[in-house]
Amino acid sequence: MKKNDIHFQFPKTVQVPDRFRNPIGKYTVRRNARCISCGLCAELCPYNVHPRYDIFSKPLRPKDYKCIGFKCKENDFFCIDRCPEQALTLRRNPILETLGDYRWTSEMLIAHWEMAETANLPVVDLEYNLGNSGGGFDKIRFKTPEPGDYLNLGDEDVDTSIILNKRGDGRPEVITGIPCYGGGMSYGSTALSVMISRARAAKLLNTLTCTGEGGYPQELVPYADHVITQIATGLFGVREETILYTPMVEFKYAQGAKPGLGGHLLGDKVTPEVAAMRETVVGNALFSPFPFHSVYSVEDHKKHVDWVKEINPKTLVSVKVSTPTDVDMVAVGSYYAGAHVVHLDGSYGGTGAAPDIAKKNIAMPIEYAIPKVHNFLKDEGVRDKVCLIASGGIRNALDVAKAIALGADGVVIGTAELVALECVRCGHCESGRGCARGIATTDHELGIMITEDWATQRIVNMYMAWRKQWCEILRQYGLKSIKELVGRSDLLVHLDYLDEEERSKYQPAPQAELII
Amino acid sequence: MFYGFDSTIKNILKSRARLPHGEMPSKKPAEEGGCGVTGFISSIPVRGRHIYEPSVQMHNRGNGKGGGIAAVGLSAEDLGVSQKILDTHYLFQVAILDPVSRPDVEESAIQPFMEIHKAESIPTLDDYREIEGLEVRPPDVWRYFVRVKPDVLDRFITENSLQDLDHRRAEDEFIYQNSFRLNQKFYASLGEKQAFVLSHGRNMMILKIVGYAEQATQYYCMEDFKAHGWIAHQRYPTKGRVWHPGGAHPFIGLDEALVHNGDFANYHAVSEYLKQHNIFPQFLTDTEVSVLLLDLFNRTLEYPMEYIIEALAPTSEYDFDLLPPEKQHVYRYIQAAHIHASPDGPWFFIIARNNPYKNYFQLIGITDTSMLRPQVFALQEGDVQIGLICSEKQAIDATLQNLAAEDSRFCPIADKYWNARGGSATDGGAFIFTVKDAGKGDGSKKLICTNKFGDVVKTPDHQKPYKITPELSAPKNAKDITRALKDGLVLDDLSDFKRYCCRQIIDWDYVSIRYFSNELEKVAKDNDEDKSKTIEILTHLMDRRFPTGNKKRSAILQIIKESLTSIFNASPDLNQNTSSRYRYIDWEKRNTLRSPLNDEKVLVINARDFQPEGKNCDSRLLCAAYKLGWKQFICYGYRGQRFCACGLSKDSDGVRIDVYDSSGDYLASGIDGLEIYVHGNAQDQLGQIMKRGKLVIHGDVGQTFMYGAKGGDVYVLGNAAGRPLINAVGHPRVVINGTCLDYLAQSFMAGDPLKDGGFIILNGIEFDEDANVIDQPTPYPGSNLFSLASGGAIYLRDPDHKVVIDQLNGGEFVALSPADWELVLPYVEENERLFGISIENDLLTVNGHKRDYTEVYRKVQAVTLDVLAKESVAAEEWGEDWQDDENLKSA
Repeated sequence: MKKNDIHFQFPKTVQVPDRFRNPIGKYTVRRNARCISCGLCAELCPYNVHPRYDIFSKPLRPKDYKCIGFKCKENDFFCIDRCPEQALTLRRNPILETLGDYRWTSEMLIAHWEMAETANLPVVDLEYNLGNSGGGFDKIRFKTPEPGDYLNLGDEDVDTSIILNKRGDGRPEVITGIPCYGGGMSYGSTALSVMISRARAAKLLNTLTCTGEGGYPQELVPYADHVITQIATGLFGVREETILYTPMVEFKYAQGAKPGLGGHLLGDKVTPEVAAMRETVVGNALFSPFPFHSVYSVEDHKKHVDWVKEINPKTLVSVKVSTPTDVDMVAVGSYYAGAHVVHLDGSYGGTGAAPDIAKKNIAMPIEYAIPKVHNFLKDEGVRDKVCLIASGGIRNALDVAKAIALGADGVVIGTAELVALECVRCGHCESGRGCARGIATTDHELGIMITEDWATQRIVNMYMAWRKQWCEILRQYGLKSIKELVGRSDLLVHLDYLDEEERSKYQPAPQAELII
Repeated sequence: MFYGFDSTIKNILKSRARLPHGEMPSKKPAEEGGCGVTGFISSIPVRGRHIYEPSVQMHNRGNGKGGGIAAVGLSAEDLGVSQKILDTHYLFQVAILDPVSRPDVEESAIQPFMEIHKAESIPTLDDYREIEGLEVRPPDVWRYFVRVKPDVLDRFITENSLQDLDHRRAEDEFIYQNSFRLNQKFYASLGEKQAFVLSHGRNMMILKIVGYAEQATQYYCMEDFKAHGWIAHQRYPTKGRVWHPGGAHPFIGLDEALVHNGDFANYHAVSEYLKQHNIFPQFLTDTEVSVLLLDLFNRTLEYPMEYIIEALAPTSEYDFDLLPPEKQHVYRYIQAAHIHASPDGPWFFIIARNNPYKNYFQLIGITDTSMLRPQVFALQEGDVQIGLICSEKQAIDATLQNLAAEDSRFCPIADKYWNARGGSATDGGAFIFTVKDAGKGDGSKKLICTNKFGDVVKTPDHQKPYKITPELSAPKNAKDITRALKDGLVLDDLSDFKRYCCRQIIDWDYVSIRYFSNELEKVAKDNDEDKSKTIEILTHLMDRRFPTGNKKRSAILQIIKESLTSIFNASPDLNQNTSSRYRYIDWEKRNTLRSPLNDEKVLVINARDFQPEGKNCDSRLLCAAYKLGWKQFICYGYRGQRFCACGLSKDSDGVRIDVYDSSGDYLASGIDGLEIYVHGNAQDQLGQIMKRGKLVIHGDVGQTFMYGAKGGDVYVLGNAAGRPLINAVGHPRVVINGTCLDYLAQSFMAGDPLKDGGFIILNGIEFDEDANVIDQPTPYPGSNLFSLASGGAIYLRDPDHKVVIDQLNGGEFVALSPADWELVLPYVEENERLFGISIENDLLTVNGHKRDYTEVYRKVQAVTLDVLAKESVAAEEWGEDWQDDENLKSA
C-alpha cells in the first residue's frame, strides 16, 4: 500500500457554532434581576459562558450549553459562587428529561452536537459512549488495557483507514480514511443541502456516502467519487449513468430497521421535485417492494451483481442485508456471488420513517450478527477476501470500535451524521413538514435552514472527534492500525458475563437520572 | 390420528412410525437459493452426453458445489441386464462415501433382505482430476439389481397388516423403508457420513457429485449411456465447504427423481406436516421434503397427478372462480387437507418418473403460484418427439442443437416454447410429458404432452418434419426461384419481394426453401448492398408469421437461421484488407477490435464463445466497440450470454443492435436512446431500469420484463411472462400483442399517459396454425392487473369484456376518449409496421366484424388509493393546489 494512502491529509477542523440562538445544553445558567453587570463572570469563565459586549450595559443571556456544570465548583472561577450579587443559578437542564431516548440519550445527543461544533471531545461532563438501553453496545466494554501495551504514537501515525475491496479482482481497492461511510438517505427523505453536505464531508474525509433510493441529484456529481449509488427494490432514479458515476454500488436487499418492508415515502414528502427525480406521481406515497422482483434466489442475485459489474467494470459491489437468523449463510452467499462488501444492517437503526413495531422486533441485534458472520466467513476461509461492514444503531466512536473488535471491518453511519446536524431524534422524519430542524424535509422553507458549508464542517468535525477516540483505543492496546482491531473480541467484555468483582471494575451502565 | 384414511393407508403410515429417526432439526443446515434445472424426455432413448451442453450453459446458475443427474427409461443393454430384469427389479444405487463401510452396508441392509441379481461397482474414470474443475472426489457408487426375498416380504406384510395392499406395492414400501433405515444408520445419524442411497426405483437412477452436473456424466461414464428421460441440476449451496454430495439434487421418492429450483419459506410447516405422517427428512433440504410430499401423495395416498399438482400449487383467487363447479368441489377438499403442506415461496419442480404399473415414463414440470422462478417448456414433434423443461430457454436450444447434430430426426429449434403460471385455471401451470408404448407392436414409444387437467398440448399434426439432407439437389422450380430472387433484389424497395416470399413459402417444399435461402447466401457474397438486402429478407422471414402449409415453422426457421449464420460468418475480419460495410469479430479475434474506418458501418459480433458474464462477455466488447465509434451491430450465435446492450450509458441515440439466436437475461437493461431488435424469443429481466430508446422483440419475453423502467418505446410480438413492468415510472410506452401471466404493471407509477406519462397496450392476440391473428382465450388470465398503481394506464383489447373488476386491485375501467385513441394510434401503427398486425383487419376486427375502437379497447387507469395518498397534511394546511402542475413547472 502506498504510504499516502494511509496518511492522506485529514481536513482542517473549524469551529462551527450551533444554528440556533439558544442551543440545548446539559445545564442551564440563569441570571436574575440582581445582576449589576459588573462583568466578573465574563472575565472568570474560560468556557465563554458569559459573553459580553463592551458597549452594552446589560449582560447577554449566558451561553449555558458551554457550561461544564457542577464539577466547576472546584474551580476558583466558578461563577455561581463568585458572583458578588449571587445573581446566577446553575441547574441541570430539565429538557434532558424529554430529549432523546434510551439508545440515544440526551447526553449523547448533546455531546455529539458539541463534537460537531468543536471537533474535540466534549469538555462538559457528558456520557457519550454509553446509552441507556440496558443491552447491546451499552453492556459491552473494552477490557482494561495493560499499561505496558501503550504505544506512544501521535494521532497522525495511527491508521484508521479500511480497504473496501479485498477480492484482488483487478477492481480498485477503495481505501477510506476513516472506518465509516455514510448510510443511504434518499433525495426525498432528507433535504438536498443535507445530501450534498454529506457528500462534501465524505470527500474531505476520503470516505463515501450513499444516495439512498431516490435518484442521483445532479448536484452530487462533483462528488461522484465519494458517492455510493444505491440500487434498492423500487429502482427509483437508478439509471446506467448513475451506476457509471460511482465507486461502489450498494444493493439494498433489506434494511435492519424494517426487514421485509421495503422503502416507504409518504405522499406528503413526494413533492414535485421528488416526484420528478423518481419520475412518479406527485403526492402519491412511494413504496419500494420488499424483494427485488428480479431476485428470488442466490443465482438471481449473482446475475444481478454481474449486471452492475458489466455496466461499470471499475465499480465495487456492496450487498446490504438485514440480519435474519441465517445471516451467516446470506453473507457467504453474497460473497460467492461476487460482492466486495457485505453490509449487515442490524435492528437498532432507522429514522422515524421506519415503523416502531418493525424497528424493535424483527432483525437480529447487530452485535450478535457481526461475530456470527465474522466467524462463519473465517471458517469458510474467505474472511480475508471480503469487507464486512456493519450498521444499525452504531451511535458513537466507541460503538464503531466495538463493532470492529467484534469482527466488522468498518461501519456505516446514518443517524449520527444527522445528529451532528442537530437532529433531536424526535422521530417525525416521515412527514413532509415534520422536521423541526430542517434535516429530513423536502420542504423549501425548512430546507434552507441548513447551509452546505455549515453542515459539511459539522459532519467533518464529528468524525475528527471520533478519530481521536479511535486513536486512543488503538494506542492503549498497542495497535497501530484499526485493521488490527478487526475480530479482536478478546479485547471486549460483556458486563452480564462477568462475576460481581470483575464487573465492579468497569463503568456501570448509565441510569436515567431524574431531574428535580 | 389418521382419521378418514382407509386402513391400508393407515397401516402404511403406522409402519413407518417404527423406523428409527432423529430429532427434527431446528434449522436447515444450508440455505440454497437457486439453481439451474433442466430436463428432457424423448420418445427414443438418447445418450447422456445430451444433458451435458445444457448443464454447462447453466453453470452460472450453480456454483459447482453440487450437481446431479437422473435418468429414466434406461437401456438394458448398457446396464448389462435383460429388459425383464430392468423392468421388474429395483435398481438400487448406493453412494459409498467411506469405502470401509461397504461390507457393513451390504450385510445390514441388502444381503439379509434382498435377492441380488447383479451387483457391481459402477464404472468411473480412473482419476477424477482428469475432469477439469472437479475438486472433490465423487463417491464410489454400487449398483444392485434386487428383489425383496419372499419370506422377508411376507413377514413385512404380516407384521404391518398390509394384506390388503397390492403385493408389489408392499414390496415398494419395503424397499422405501429399507433405504430409510440405511440412510439413517449410515448417513443421517452420523457426523462423518458413510453411505446413502442414491436411488432405488425401477428403471431409473440418480447420480450426484460435488461439482457441476455434467461432470457426473463424465466421471461415471454416462456420456454414451442411453435413456428416454434425463434431468440435471446445478446446485448453488451458499455454504462453501462441501465434501459429499448428500445434499445435491435430484432426490428420490420411489420411482421418481425430483429437482427443484427455489427456496421454501415454510420448510418447517411442511416438515411438521410430514412428521404427522411419520415421515422424517434425513438430508434436510427443501428438495427432500418436496419429494417426500410427492411420494406421500403419489404412492401412499394414491392421488392422481392432477390432485397432486393441486395439493402442491393450489388454484386460488380469480382462477378458482373460473373452474367448473365439480372441480371447485374437489379442489376445495384438497386445499382444505393440504394447504399447510403446500410449498410457499419460490419453487419450480422437475420430476422424472417411471410408472411401472402403467408402463410409462414421465417428465413433469410444476411451477409455483407466484411464478417466482424462471421456467420454459418446449415441445418438438415429428418422427421422434421430445419434451423439454428448463430454467432458461437457451438451455433448451442447446439440448436440441446437440441432439440434432447427432440425429437428424431432431430439429435444433422446438416447435413450441411456453411459460406457465402455477395454479392457473387454464393449464394449472404444470405440464406432463408422458412416454409410453406407441401401440405399433414393435416396442416403439410415443410422447404425449398434457397439462394439469389432462388436455393435450400438441403441434399441428399435418406438418411434416424436415430432415437435414447433406446433398442439396436443386428443386424443380429452381429456375423460377432464381428469377424471382433476381427480380426482387433489383428493386430498392423490398416490400413487394418480402410479400412474395411470405406468400410463396406455403407452396414451396423444404427443398425449395433451402434452395431459395442458399441462393440468397450466394447473392450476399456479391456486394454489401445485396448482403444487406438478403439479411433484410431472411430476417423478415424469421420475424414474420405466415402460413407454412404442411411444413413446420421451426424447420423453416432452422433453414433461414443457417443461411443467416453463414452470411454473418462470411463478413470480413477487421484486419482483412477488403472494403465492406460489414466487419466480423468473435472471441478468437476479439483483440482485433478497432475504430471503424472509411465506410465500415456494421460490426458483426459472433457471441458464441464469449462468457455469459464477467469481463469476457460479449457485451463488454460491444461497449468497447461503441466507444470506438461503432454504431450498428449484428449480434448472433448467442447461447444465453447476458447483458446485451447494457453499459452504453446515456444518449446512445443512433445505435442499432440486431440480436439473433438464444439471447440471454438482462438484455437492453438500462438502455438510454439506442434501438435494439431481438429476432426471436427473449429471456428474463429484459429492459430493467430502461430509460429511453426502442426495444422490439419478435417473440415472447420472460420474467420481470421492464422492472423499474423509466421510459422507452417497446414492442413485443408475443407474451410477457410474470411480473412485467413492476414499479415502472416515467413514460414507458409498451405494446404487448400477446398477454402476460400475472402481476402486469404492479405499482405502476408512470404519470398521466395523456400528459407524457406511460402506458401499456395489451392486445391479447396470438397466431393460429395458418398465421391468422386470433384472440387468446382471455386478454389477461392473471388475478392481479395494475395492482396498487398510482399512474399510467393499460389499454386493454377486450371487446368481450372478459377481464373483470375482480382482477384489478386499485384500478378502474373507463372508456377510451378520442384523446386516448390519438395517443395509442401511433404505437399500434408502428406495431403494424413491425409485426404486420393490422389495426383495421386484426385489432379492430372482432369475429369478422369491424368495430370502433371504443368497442374494442378498454382503458384501465389508476384510482386514488387511500393507502397511497392519505389526506395530505400539507393539503390541509395550504389548500389542495399546493402541488399542482404549475408548481412543477416553476420548480
